[in-house]
This record gives sequence, structure tokens and C-alpha cells, in this order.
Amino acid sequence: MKRVLVVAGALLLSVGAGVAQQDPVKDAQNVMKANGKNLGGVLSPMFKGEKPYDQAAVDAALTQLNDTAKKLPTMFPASVKDAKWEGDYAPSPKIWEDKAGFDAKVASFTKVVAEAKAKIKDLDSLKANFPGIGKECGACHETYRLKKG
Amino acid sequence: MLKRLFLLAVLAAIAGLGIFWWLTIPAVVAASSLPAYKPNLANGLTAFNAGGCSSCHSVPNQPDRLKLGGGLPIPSPFGTFNVPNISPDPNDGIGRWSEADFVTAMLKGTSPSGSHYFPAFPYASYEHAKVEDVRDLFAYLKTLAPVAGKTRDHDVPFPFNIRRNVGVWKFLFTDGKPFVPDASKSAQWNRGAYLVNSLGHCAECHSPRNFLGGIIDAQRFAGGPNPEGEGWVPNITQKRMSEWSAKDFSYFLESGQTPDGDTAGGLMTRVIRNTSQLSPEDRTAMAEYLKSLPPVEGPPRPKKAEKS
Repeated sequence: MKRVLVVAGALLLSVGAGVAQQDPVKDAQNVMKANGKNLGGVLSPMFKGEKPYDQAAVDAALTQLNDTAKKLPTMFPASVKDAKWEGDYAPSPKIWEDKAGFDAKVASFTKVVAEAKAKIKDLDSLKANFPGIGKECGACHETYRLKKG
Repeated sequence: MLKRLFLLAVLAAIAGLGIFWWLTIPAVVAASSLPAYKPNLANGLTAFNAGGCSSCHSVPNQPDRLKLGGGLPIPSPFGTFNVPNISPDPNDGIGRWSEADFVTAMLKGTSPSGSHYFPAFPYASYEHAKVEDVRDLFAYLKTLAPVAGKTRDHDVPFPFNIRRNVGVWKFLFTDGKPFVPDASKSAQWNRGAYLVNSLGHCAECHSPRNFLGGIIDAQRFAGGPNPEGEGWVPNITQKRMSEWSAKDFSYFLESGQTPDGDTAGGLMTRVIRNTSQLSPEDRTAMAEYLKSLPPVEGPPRPKKAEKS
């Protein structure tokens, strides 16, 4: 009986660990999708004047981008290199071949987001600082993301 | 009898060679055909940004897009093209070129020494540019800093390395005609159509190509495999872009951001670095034209589930 309990416990633990670990491919995709939502649904429309400026929404979006910056350095472990990526995009092998270059892009993104977070207090400062964030996205996607379809 | 047949074959071969030779004579624009002209540098800058010159000709892996020393390798199914130096350096760039040399290169795809350029240089689009725009562009390029250093020769294997053969390609895939505005459309639409189809050379990547590397006309702008290797270039006709408004197009050309918050990646990032420098009016014009592209089914995309 004791043995059964131990085995069952071990099984439960491993299942728990599995859930906690989740799928790094899905994780990365979810983070990127959340970024997209904040850019396309919150910051861009305000920048373009389609939505009124909303400091709380801006702060929430920038906080999420800041979280992304923290996750990025470990978001593409070597284990996802040969994984299946559903959808339009996959990470380029250059992430692992040119680790230094990738890390530099992540550092640059982190810096720009932190600055934006400190500076964006109204529509004018949004207009001044938002394009820089988009440029960081593009600069990294230029080399380190592949478009499949 | 046999002798006669042989003679006939020889004659046919000579005639064939003659036709080939005649067909593939590199065209030039004579200096005498260019009237006196005072170039407009501001418009030259516009032509430079619309033409995306720096996307390929700026020195790779450094931030200055006006440093046009070349050197970027462009892989293709026909070999690797190494982008030449077009800075005003007299020895390694175009510093000694005459204006007619430059106009010839842009509009005819012929080098100052009279040989065909490979169509990796997108003269099949540039040939539709206005002579004035090309002359302004030349004047603008001359104002940039010279960059020393010759770039590597193209690494293109036989038979594609025979430049004369490019004349056949030109015969098949270029028409040598300037852009003609559509009188039934607005001035803005026509400006957009001009920028997209001539200097902008959007179709060069956003269209599928046949086995000779010519654009498949029926599927112009309908996307296809990335000619430089991995990945896929999207269909930019209304087949795929119907959800984008004209404003979405112009904002994308300005910022690289799509309406759903995605950003341009890959080669398009370089394109955006140029289009972001254009005037809002020119971007709006390009957007209006792009929004008007009728839906065209592109080549089948690769299966999505596969790892690229």
C-alpha cells in the first residue's frame, strides 16, 4: 500500500511538473501574441488617434512588454529548435547560431521598453516613444524570426 | 546530299547565332538623348527611399544606411549575387560614371562597359521609372560619402554566368516601357501605382517566379516562396489583405506594424526602413494603390504544421 502511495505521489508530482513547465513553444507564442495585442489593440490605436489616450491601459501594456523583456532571454531554449511550430512563424536557427547577436537585440528591446515605461505620461510622450518599440520588434524579427506561411 | 544538309545546318546555326546576337545586344541610353536638366536633390532623396537602394547596397551589419559600399550576398536558385558598391567612390563605386551610364543602368539594366546586369538588380521594375527621377537619384547619390572597397564578383555557375544570355531574359521579361498613368484613376492612385511598380519594385519579391526567374504575370503581387531561401513572401493582393484598410497599409509602410500588432520581419524590415522615410503623401498613395489590387490566388503555401 505504501508503495502504491509513493508511486501515485511520484506520478502526481511529475504530472504537476509537466503542467507547470508547459510547452515552451506555446509559451513563446502566447507571449508574442500578447505583445501583438498590446501593440495592435492598445498602443497603436492611441498613437494613431483612433482611441483616446488612457494612461492605465498604457501602463498595463508596457508592464506586459516589460515582462516579455524579462522572459525573452530564456524564451527560446535549445529544446524548441527542432520543435513543431504551428502557425505562420518559427524562430530562426540564428537565435542559437548567433546567440550574442540575439542577446544584444533582447538587451536593446529591454532598454527601449524600460525607457518608454518611464517616459510615456501623455499622448505627446507616447507619440515620441512608441515608434521606437515597434522598431525593436522589427529589428529582432528581421533576423531571428522566419515566416513560413 | 549529305554535304548539302550539313551546309544547311551550318547556315541555320549562323542565322540562329545572328538572331541571338541581335536579340541580346545590351540597350543603352545615349548621353545625347538626355536634354539639359537641373537635378532636384530632394526628389532624388525620395527616389532613393522609394527605390530601396540601401536595402541591398548599404554595407551589411552596420547601421548607416547611406554607406553604399555593397557586399551583401544575395542567394538565389541561380547562384549567389554579391551586391556592388554604388557609393561615389571613383575606383570602387560609381564616382566615374556619367549620368547617361547611370540612366542606362537603371532603365536598361546595362553596365557602363556595355554588358547586361543580372536581374537581381531589379531593372525589370526600375525601367518604368521617369528619367527625371533617375537623374535626380544620380545627383543625390553623388552627394553621399564615397566608400572604398570593391565587392566580390558574383558567384553564379554556368550557364547563368554568360551575361549575354541575360539579353534573352530581358527580351522575355521586360518591356522597356515607361509607366503610363490610368486616366480613369485619381492622381493619388497613379502616384502609388508608379511608386509600387517602378522604383518601389514591390512585385520583385511579392510575386512567384517561373523556372527562368521571370515573374509570373498572372500572379503578380500574389506572393510565393522567398527567392533568397527559407520562408514565404506573402500575397499582398486583396485575396489576403482584404481586412486591411488603405490606412493600415500606409501605417505599415511607416511603422512596420500590422493592424493586429504584428511587426514586419525578415527582408521587409529593410524595406520599411526606406518607406518610413517617404512623405506621408507618398505612403498614402502607395496604400491606395495596394488596396486596389484585385484578389489573386497565389501559389500554394507550404503546409503550416511542418517545421520550416
